[in-house]
Amino acid sequence: MSSKSALITVKNISKIYDLGEIKVRALQDISLTINEGDFLIITGRNGSGKSTLLHQLGLLDRPNQGEIFLNNEEVTSMPEKSRANLRLCHLGYIFQEYALIAELTALENVMLPARMITSPKISRPRALELLRKVGLDKKTNNLPRQLSGGEQQKVAIARALINDPSVIFADEPTANLDTKAAKDVLEIFKQLNEQERHTIVMITHEEEETKYANRLITLSDGKIV
Amino acid sequence: MKHQLAIPFFLVSRWIKRGNKWTLSLIIFLMSIAFVNLVFVAALFNGIIESSNNQTINTYTSNIFMAPPDGDDAIKNTTEVLATIRTIPGVVAASAQMLVPASLKYQNKKGSWEVLAINPEDEASVTIVNTKMTSGSYLDENDDDQIILGRDIAGGHNGNSTSLSLDGVKVGDKITLTFDSQTKDFTVKGIFYAKFINTDQRAFITQKALHELNPSLDNLATSIIIKTTKKGNEPEVINQLKKTTLQGNFYTWEEVAGLMSSIADSFISINVILSTVAVLIAAVTIFIVIYIDLINKRQQIGILRAIGIRPYVIQTAYVLQSAIYSVSGVILGTGIFYGLLVPYFKAHPFSLPIGDASLIVNPADFTIRAEVIMWVAVVAGLIPAFLITRSKILEAIRGK
Repeated sequence: MSSKSALITVKNISKIYDLGEIKVRALQDISLTINEGDFLIITGRNGSGKSTLLHQLGLLDRPNQGEIFLNNEEVTSMPEKSRANLRLCHLGYIFQEYALIAELTALENVMLPARMITSPKISRPRALELLRKVGLDKKTNNLPRQLSGGEQQKVAIARALINDPSVIFADEPTANLDTKAAKDVLEIFKQLNEQERHTIVMITHEEEETKYANRLITLSDGKIV
Repeated sequence: MKHQLAIPFFLVSRWIKRGNKWTLSLIIFLMSIAFVNLVFVAALFNGIIESSNNQTINTYTSNIFMAPPDGDDAIKNTTEVLATIRTIPGVVAASAQMLVPASLKYQNKKGSWEVLAINPEDEASVTIVNTKMTSGSYLDENDDDQIILGRDIAGGHNGNSTSLSLDGVKVGDKITLTFDSQTKDFTVKGIFYAKFINTDQRAFITQKALHELNPSLDNLATSIIIKTTKKGNEPEVINQLKKTTLQGNFYTWEEVAGLMSSIADSFISINVILSTVAVLIAAVTIFIVIYIDLINKRQQIGILRAIGIRPYVIQTAYVLQSAIYSVSGVILGTGIFYGLLVPYFKAHPFSLPIGDASLIVNPADFTIRAEVIMWVAVVAGLIPAFLITRSKILEAIRGK
């Protein structure tokens, strides 16, 4: 583990949600390092701050305090334009509820982020390859509504991989899936991590899913325990 | 960069192709109705103004109105004057009119109207009153005790000014004309309905009939109306007329129109006000429609931003979508307008006291209104897209 280089460094971040009269401290002084090749699972009870932490790491939100470094570059105070570029090229994000564009086919959903930086001529074969890898090569032209939950999540995984990101964030990716589909998704993550050395940060509160991780963090009341 | 610019077109094509067809149809239909509303009001007022102008020219003043010289009550030597006028390039025909300050009486009904002594043939070459006879027939040159009445004088039709009319006088009835302390009975030869209030309150007798009442008025006219080859060349013809030795004052139909002119001016002002209101209604309608459509896509916008699609790409996509909505709405609206409304109102014009009004479109005006719709739609697409792409990604994804 010590030979691995730090991909993401989190220094003392806190996130406070201002709900008017009430201020909710979702994250409190969190520090951690995510190394290349980690399969890090973040667990904790509902409201423990798991998703909030993932949102900060995935550059979907900014902490109130502290800093996050991605490849030694400070990203918390970066302009939104630069953060969008990082999300596009270096980070892959998988949502609990798939977050596919309803009017795009599986193939088009996967191709979409790649079309920001390259032509369809280049992105199409890559998207087809990724869909084949997740077992959806026969459903490339299906719209999201024509796919099962597990299949939609696989499309989301392929989309997250399309620009060959440094790290993949997955926010309870199996929460809406049946046991078989959940296992399929986790096996894909395992394969991506072990065979292709993708760094994966995943949230779950399923105890048995933690066995896929090579690092485990548990959050409670916004703190690492 | 060029790859990024292709994305809005890609997204919009898919949204339109695979989105909810009912929603798409409804949005385009609403756009088209907003556009039709915008165009309809202007076209209707154009139609009213145009109808009023045409009626003024065709039934009342013709293109040019010649009045006596200052200080005189009448134009003298009308035969020679008419002959001279007819030699002027751009003049089609001319007719001398003698306004007889007379009153008309039928049974116990009596009133004063404009009674004009004319040469029927000359008058028919300048106005179209002779084609507007609803009963009886037009005057002949030799009619010396015949009169034709406008419908509003004859009355009995429950129309305009009925209470001020002769209360239902018919063709063949005798009416008494009193002029210059002399009275003479005339037989109603015909009743005309020009659908122009000023004309329909006129009566015509022949110059021969006037001669029998007062021979001293021979070869005199209180006005000569002149028909030109086309509407718009009046100033040019007037310039030519002024270069001759003719003694008199020349006016274009617009200058003489008076009441009609002020009505037309009022319609123009009303048109501006209603058009402004229609633009605002169209703007608000389109804004609300597109805003609701975009609000429903907040989550999608959030997803697009989360996967790294730059805000300007998303904004461009929504602006493009709005532009397509508006262009489609304008095309559909144009189809509804020209395919349904214009033919319908041509066949069933609005019947007004100043003429039948159908829909008349000024192409430049039409284009401007189409552009207004398109710009409003673009702004209506841009503002919410701008606001949503500036909101927090997570809030957008959660649809907040």
